[in-house]
Amino acid sequence: MALATFTILSLHLSWSLIFNSTGNFFSLPVIAFCPNNNELHIYKFIKDKWEKLHVLSKHDQIVSGIDWSRSSNKIVTVSHDRNSYVWTQEGSDWVPTLVILKLNRAALCVQWSPKENKFAVGSGAKSVCICYYEQENNWWISKVIRKRHESSVTSIAWHPNNIYLATTSTDGKCRVFSTFIKGVDTRGSQSSTPTDSKFGEQIAQLDLSSTWAFGVRWSPSGKTLAYAGHNSMIYFVDEVESAPAAQNLTLRDLPLRDVLFVSERMVIGVGFDCNPMIFAADQTGLWSFVRFLDERKATPSTSKASQLSEALGKLYGQSKQGTSSDTVEPSKPRGGAHENCITCIVPLTKGRDGTIKRFSTSGLDGKIVVWDLENHITVAK
Amino acid sequence: MASSSAYPDADENLEAIITRIEQKSRKIETLLKQSKPVEALKTALEGSPLKTRDERCKSANWIVVHRAMMAIKDVDGMFNSLDPEYYDILMKYLYRGLSTGDRPTCDQCLKIHEKLTEKAGLGCILRSLADTANTV
Repeated sequence: MALATFTILSLHLSWSLIFNSTGNFFSLPVIAFCPNNNELHIYKFIKDKWEKLHVLSKHDQIVSGIDWSRSSNKIVTVSHDRNSYVWTQEGSDWVPTLVILKLNRAALCVQWSPKENKFAVGSGAKSVCICYYEQENNWWISKVIRKRHESSVTSIAWHPNNIYLATTSTDGKCRVFSTFIKGVDTRGSQSSTPTDSKFGEQIAQLDLSSTWAFGVRWSPSGKTLAYAGHNSMIYFVDEVESAPAAQNLTLRDLPLRDVLFVSERMVIGVGFDCNPMIFAADQTGLWSFVRFLDERKATPSTSKASQLSEALGKLYGQSKQGTSSDTVEPSKPRGGAHENCITCIVPLTKGRDGTIKRFSTSGLDGKIVVWDLENHITVAK
Repeated sequence: MASSSAYPDADENLEAIITRIEQKSRKIETLLKQSKPVEALKTALEGSPLKTRDERCKSANWIVVHRAMMAIKDVDGMFNSLDPEYYDILMKYLYRGLSTGDRPTCDQCLKIHEKLTEKAGLGCILRSLADTANTV
C-alpha cells in the first residue's frame, strides 16, 4: 500500500522554499524556491507541466529564507547580503520593497507572523529583527532584539497569539520573546498575553540542548513547543510561559533539522536521515517516536505523482529515471524520496479537522517532495 | 540521556567528588572479585563527574571506568544486562579510551563500540560527540 504520494522536483540545491496553495494543491499549485543562489524562482503548475513564471533577483547573495503570506499574498525574502525584500504582486509582476534590517551578519531565516502584519528575521549577528510596515512613511521598519542570544539564530517560530516569538540558536538554547509593538499590536485582543510584556522581553529560556539547536515550532494552539538539537534529540516543552515542562526524546539515528506540527499531538521531524520521522503524543501527553514516514517498499505509483515527476523530468530535459542520477550524486543510494539531508518542511493543505494533510520537504539533494498524510493520520489514531 | 540532575557534581566540591570516586573504586573491586563485571561497569559509569572542568576528577573516574571496562570478557553478554540509560555515557568513555592510543584499551573499546553502535544507533555517537557541556 502506498502510504505517501510524492512528486520530485529536480532542482539544484534548494535551500528553502514555500508553497502557496490556496484551495486544491494539485489544481493550481505555485511554488517559490531559491536554487542556492541570489535568485528567487516562482513556478506554477499549468496543465501537467511546471512553468517558470518569475525569476526575482534583487539580492546580492544567497537567499537564505523565504516566506509567502497566505492571505495578504506577500513574499518576504532574506539573504546573506544582510537585507530583506518584501515582494508584492502588482498585475503580473512582483515588486520589491527593501527592508533594511540593520544587521552586520547574514540573515538566516524569516517568518511572517500569524496576522501577517509583522515578520521576524533570525540572523548570524546573534539577534532577531522584528519588522513591521509604517503606513505614514510607506516603509518597513526593523526593530532588533540584540540581547540574550550568544550565537547565530537558526530558526524562529511565531506563537499563534502574534506576540510571542520562539528562537533556537547555535548556543544550544531555545528562547521565547515578546514582540509587542505599539501601534501594530493591540493589548486587548490577546487575552492569554500578559499585558506587561514589553518589546524584546524574554519570556522563557530553555537550556536543554548542550549543542546547536534547530527547527523550532509551536503546536497549532501554542501550548507545546518543539525543537531539535544537533545531538540527535528532540525536545517537547509544555507551558513554556509559566512553568516549562520538557520531554527530551533521544533519537536512534541522525539529528533533525526542522520540525512541523501536523496536529496538536503529532509532529513530523526532518533532517540528516533523509527520511521524515513521525512523533506522536499519547493520551497522557507522552511523546514517542512512531516510525519513519517514507516506507522503503512504498512506490510513488499514483497517477498524479508520476505525471508530475514526468513533467518535471521534461522540464529539466531529463527522463524520469535520469532525474536521480543527474542531480547531486548521493553518497549511498537510500531508495527513499530524499537522498540527502532534508533542511526544510512546509505545511501545504489543512483538512477539515484543522490538521495538516499535505506538506512538502526540500533538501540538499535539490529535491522538493510533496507528502500526503491522509492515510497516516488515521493509522496513527 | 539521563538528565543533568542525575549527575550531582554540578555544585559539589572537588574533594567530595574524589571521595565518591574512591568509594566507587572499592565497590568495583568487590564486584569484580564476585565475578560481576557488568555490575562493576554500571557502578563505574554511575555518577560520573560530567559537569566539572577539573581534569583530576575526570581522570580519576576514567581510571575507575577503564578498570571495569577491561574486565568485560563477554561483550555480547554485557549488552544483555546493560540498560539503555548507560549507552550515552558509555559511548563517551569509549571515545576517551580510543584517544589514549593504548593498544589493549583501544582493542577493547573498538569491540564494545561495534556492539554499542548496533544497539544504540548513530544518534548515540552524535550525542557523545556534540555534547560539549558534559564531558568525560
